[in-house]
Amino acid sequence: MRIDRYAPIEDYALIGDGRTAALVARDGSVDWLCLPNFDSPAVFAALLDVERGGAFALQPAIPFETEQRYLPETNVLETVFITSTGRARIVDALTLPNGGLEPMRELARSIEGVSGVVPMRWRFAPRFDYGRAAPRWERRGVTIVATCDNEAVALSIWGAGEATPVEDGWQATFDVRAGDRGLLAMSTAYAEPLIASPRHDVESRLARTIEFWRRWAGDRPYDGPWQTAVRRSALALKLLIFAASGASVAAPSTSLPESIGGSRNWDYRFCWIRDSNFLIDALLELGCYDEAKSLFWWFMHATALTEPDLHVLYRLDGSPGVAERDLSLAGYRGSRPVRVGNSAFHQLQLDIYGALFETAWLYSKGHHSLDRDTGVVLARIAGRVCDIWRCPDSGIWEVRNGPFHFTHSKAMCWAALDRAIHLAGRGELPSADVPRWRREADAIVEFVETRCWSESLKSYTRVAGSGDVDASLLMLPTIRFRNDDRVAATVDAVNRSLREGDFVYRYRAEDGVPGSEGCFLNCSFWLVSALARTGRVGEATELMERLVGRANHVGLYAEEVDPSTGAFLGNFPQALVHLALIEAAVAVARRS
Amino acid sequence: MTVFWSAFGGGVMGTLVMTTMLRAAAELGYTRMDLAFLLGTAVTDNRRKAKALGYLFHFLLGIGFALLYGAFFAAIGRSSWWLGALVAVVQALFTATVLVNVLLPVVHPRMGTPETAANEIPLIEPPGFLMLNYGRNTFVITLLAHIAYGAIVGWAIRL
Repeated sequence: MRIDRYAPIEDYALIGDGRTAALVARDGSVDWLCLPNFDSPAVFAALLDVERGGAFALQPAIPFETEQRYLPETNVLETVFITSTGRARIVDALTLPNGGLEPMRELARSIEGVSGVVPMRWRFAPRFDYGRAAPRWERRGVTIVATCDNEAVALSIWGAGEATPVEDGWQATFDVRAGDRGLLAMSTAYAEPLIASPRHDVESRLARTIEFWRRWAGDRPYDGPWQTAVRRSALALKLLIFAASGASVAAPSTSLPESIGGSRNWDYRFCWIRDSNFLIDALLELGCYDEAKSLFWWFMHATALTEPDLHVLYRLDGSPGVAERDLSLAGYRGSRPVRVGNSAFHQLQLDIYGALFETAWLYSKGHHSLDRDTGVVLARIAGRVCDIWRCPDSGIWEVRNGPFHFTHSKAMCWAALDRAIHLAGRGELPSADVPRWRREADAIVEFVETRCWSESLKSYTRVAGSGDVDASLLMLPTIRFRNDDRVAATVDAVNRSLREGDFVYRYRAEDGVPGSEGCFLNCSFWLVSALARTGRVGEATELMERLVGRANHVGLYAEEVDPSTGAFLGNFPQALVHLALIEAAVAVARRS
Repeated sequence: MTVFWSAFGGGVMGTLVMTTMLRAAAELGYTRMDLAFLLGTAVTDNRRKAKALGYLFHFLLGIGFALLYGAFFAAIGRSSWWLGALVAVVQALFTATVLVNVLLPVVHPRMGTPETAANEIPLIEPPGFLMLNYGRNTFVITLLAHIAYGAIVGWAIRL
């Protein structure tokens, strides 16, 4: 259970509505929720500061155990509390709009007695602006209202006790008998009046939300191996897409640490270009053509301001303001600083050009033709790749002691030009510069083969001339980088050098950030994919089986895992890991 | 009739200049706003057709607003380039805070709104307050383009 009053990261489940998302602990406490959007300030941030962050707890008032799961094929969470006196069940969801007059955002928590009598309690303690602003409280009939400037949250209570004020909010205790039904509905408003919905409207939205998720999941035609894990990953990824723009967050949280007490704490509530490459691939694989199209449109629109240069990451709505700053929160189990914003925004990361072209290539192959204007923009970007691929960069891992000549970055520049040439061949890009693209692509291959290959390691190296390897090299088979023998040998070398049990470290070199980290789970899935793509399907299948078993109780993964304990580390849940899982499953399926 | 035709001519000239300024600002990397694209995608998801239709629609809007300017100036009995510029400032503020920020996402079938949730899949991100989602300079550029439009219309109108 909780350590220093913090729930283990793997004890959380995610609910969401395509605009924001909440992390619900196994013990029934909503410890993270930003309003109105993923990247807005949090109203519940106990995840990062149990004292001042704010939370919405709902649990038995006596010792209990829990069973938590998603309702089948949905993103609606069910928690069953098992006590010595009986069982109670709560269902949590961020409801989806029905089209009527509805709250801007709504968290519905329905309570049902299953057996016996369970004494329950709830405590509602929202804070505004990451705990920096205390709310002003009001009681209006069955509703408690907390306001701060132009924001408001209201809690409506039906059959869930008589609310009484406490120091940091409101609370109640009540008994739930078998067959009893209660409901807590938190509605929110931002720069507009609150909407007070009657109970049956909330229940109707909750029912329709369950129905929507079942329909959505049912429309995903994946019938390959590891269906449960792939379908859960698809549902999780859908939760991470910001519906208004089609962009997706890398994770809905900020500053969950890469080591407990450490300082590698980052804000992932932005859209990374490389993630969208993987996401479009996965969306097309799972038959989500509309979502893929929406993401690609966002992609081309978001990059319009800076092309032919690309930023590493973008805000979900395209607005400016990703400057990194520290919040005065205690941090998850004392892991400070707590950061919002992300200064990786300013880095040169050459691999994102490859990601962009891979995205365009996949999109084009997925029966969507590129229009002429998009083709012209992509041709300009290909020209830019020719200009800059010789520059050192910060690489896929966003190191802060660079720049270096990362092998992976160079290979991705090759992928960019290779896909540009192929797209031009299909008539999707102007072909006037193809000879230059071909010349530069050959020059990149020459650079990688002569300066990034180590005969003693029998592997491509992390950076040109170095004597170590990097897990990003596991992507070489995926991008179909040229030399098959050397690529296969590199997969071997990474497997030997960076693997610890089922997990894979990113690298063992210094990266300019103090502190240690766990193993990045996406690297493990990349290894599965690389093994499968280099013909070692049996080995890949065995590893995949074990990795699928490493998901938490509801099938989600954090960014990292501590290889010695299996505990999750880093932001949660992380899109890249779920994308890598889908890619790995498909890679194994295609080669089995 | 003098007012009508002078306002019509001013509308054509003003919209031409405004459209050119907005397009140039986008090409020079100051904004991601593309009015023709935004307007045209209301009727088609074909990007090229959308831009052509959008330019046509924008010109019609520009002429329509110029006729309103003409009616307003005729009502107050005076007209000048600076009066046109002044009215255009009000129009730009209305455009950035209400017309494009609030009304366009509501009527645009392919644009997201702050209420868009997981059960919808729009293609275009909403512009946001002062259209800042399309770049931090968007409002300033919109304001300058409208001032140029208003000054030309105000200068052209003959009472």
